[in-house]
Amino acid sequence: MAAVEIQNVRKAYGDVETIKGVSVDVPDGAFVVLVGPSGCGKSTLLRMIAGLEEITGGTIRIDGRVINDVEPKNRDIAMVFQNYALYPHMTIAENMGFSLRLAKKSREEIASRVADAARILGLTDYLQRYPKQLSGGQRQRVAMGRAIVRNPKVFLFDEPLSNLDAKLRVQMRAELKDIHARIRTTTVYVTHDQIEAMTMADRIVVMRDGIVEQVGAPLDLYDRPVNTFVASFIGSPSMNFLSTRIEADRRSAVTESGIRLPFGSETSVAPGTAISYGIRPEHLTIATGGGEGIPMVVANIEPTGSETFVQGTIGGQKVSAQLRERLFIKTGEVLNLTLSPSNSHLFDATTGVRL
Amino acid sequence: MLKRKRFIFAILAILPTLAIFAYVRLYPIADTLRLSLYQWNILSKNKPFVGLANFRELMGDHLFISALVNTTIIAFGVLILTIPMALVIAALIFHRTRSKMAGFYETAVFIPHVVSLVPAAMAWKWIFDARLGPLNALLDFFGLPMQNWLFDPVLSVICIIILCSWQALGYAVLIYIVGFKNLPVSLYEAAKLDGASGPQSFWHLSIPMLKPITLYVSVVTLVSGFNVYAQAFVLASDAQGAPGRQVRVLVLDMLENSFRNYRVGYAASEAVVLLVIVLVLTLIQFSMLRERGKA
Repeated sequence: MAAVEIQNVRKAYGDVETIKGVSVDVPDGAFVVLVGPSGCGKSTLLRMIAGLEEITGGTIRIDGRVINDVEPKNRDIAMVFQNYALYPHMTIAENMGFSLRLAKKSREEIASRVADAARILGLTDYLQRYPKQLSGGQRQRVAMGRAIVRNPKVFLFDEPLSNLDAKLRVQMRAELKDIHARIRTTTVYVTHDQIEAMTMADRIVVMRDGIVEQVGAPLDLYDRPVNTFVASFIGSPSMNFLSTRIEADRRSAVTESGIRLPFGSETSVAPGTAISYGIRPEHLTIATGGGEGIPMVVANIEPTGSETFVQGTIGGQKVSAQLRERLFIKTGEVLNLTLSPSNSHLFDATTGVRL
Repeated sequence: MLKRKRFIFAILAILPTLAIFAYVRLYPIADTLRLSLYQWNILSKNKPFVGLANFRELMGDHLFISALVNTTIIAFGVLILTIPMALVIAALIFHRTRSKMAGFYETAVFIPHVVSLVPAAMAWKWIFDARLGPLNALLDFFGLPMQNWLFDPVLSVICIIILCSWQALGYAVLIYIVGFKNLPVSLYEAAKLDGASGPQSFWHLSIPMLKPITLYVSVVTLVSGFNVYAQAFVLASDAQGAPGRQVRVLVLDMLENSFRNYRVGYAASEAVVLLVIVLVLTLIQFSMLRERGKA
């Protein structure tokens, strides 16, 4: 096991810089998830840790040693690829034992280490089969097994669950977490799926356009996003943003159509300043006691059984709400909502930075 | 109803092509099979049926047997030389695709395949020439004994193998490069992380994964090897080459039998033997391919 320290790392292809100075610390034994929309540079960063991409600038250390110019095989890392990258002409046992075979380990040692990994992953019965005879989930486990047998210092995962169907993805998520809990190897995991990031990570790194937007524990990111990008990326359905101006009392903001939205506490921002008022869909609830409340014109209702998702507009601005109640209203009707002021977020209207 | 109409239309549409194909491809094969059972001197109307007599005679014909042995040695020699070389060259070219020279290398290797057989063979004949050829000059330069390349019965077969391999190489390399391009990059990345060096990836990943390509290229190379004629004719069958047509190959033997000895039926029976050999080899290779597909 080892810590991974990424310091001011850059990657450029000719004149185009795709990673623009990224610094991330992955503590020993941690499960860190790099998340962001496609093209944000998260996979490139992972491949730079693996040694599959050259590092244009900055340093990467594993266990204190700078590995910028170290061959991939000498970095003591194992990687699980999105498409699993299993060797199609080798059996599962051969796939898992390939690295040991190249390292000239004895036949007995290879067999015992493969058997150990297979036991952890529930693959014992499949060792003599070929990859194409296995299901997607099983192949995924073989890819994991290939990483585990090497007992590396760091595990790297490049969107390992995106080729699986939704149900299997949820199951594998739990399995991966369980395996990490047992073997406690430092893990860097790349995904574009914020749910995966939220459920699996000890620490999330949100990236956009080659820079790190925010690093933190999942719920910290959820509760205190540093800007509108992180606020909208983390959480599903995504946070609502309403263009408003600060009121004279500095305890609320008002939309152009005159709807007043309260904050939890007094803000230091000058009255009249244009801000983006953020509120998560689950922090909107149905107003009880009539009259008072924020009127939402309903455009669409999605009942899921346990919850009801409602999309509509507040003062002409698009908003979605996640309600516990079952609703029997039609589109076009007005729903009176209240919001929890302590859960509101204020962002600068132009820069998107948290105020 | 509509389906049936469309089916009839489809048949009618491909009928002309089918007819041409049948006439130029299938009919000659069928007629060769038929002729092999007759005795015929091209001109005579008299064409008696002799059953398997032609084949019985073949078994004792020394010229035919030596042609068969030569042809087999050449065909397998070309195969053994071409396949590993093509694999290695294709791998080198493929892994240098970022280099500006990649196109040049590909073309350089492929050109021999498009050059006409005879001029190419003439050029090689000069290379192998015992007195004037650069090959002997090179041997002499390094203090090695000069060889009678085209006069020695063993060496002249080797010369033909080299010439045929040189021509077959370009095509094989081209097909292998396509094969390499279709191998998933992530597998090589995974192997790199597993600790494989370039040559190890080549040995443990490329060679096994290119097996279907290897089988296909082997079939093509072997079949063309069995049909060797012009190369042997130019290199080793006139006064400057091996005297007395030392390197007899099957096609040469067939031509002589039919157009010099006017024994068309006998030559047809040789063709049938060649056809059977090629067919059996192809079937073996394709059944290997299918077995792999099942795995």
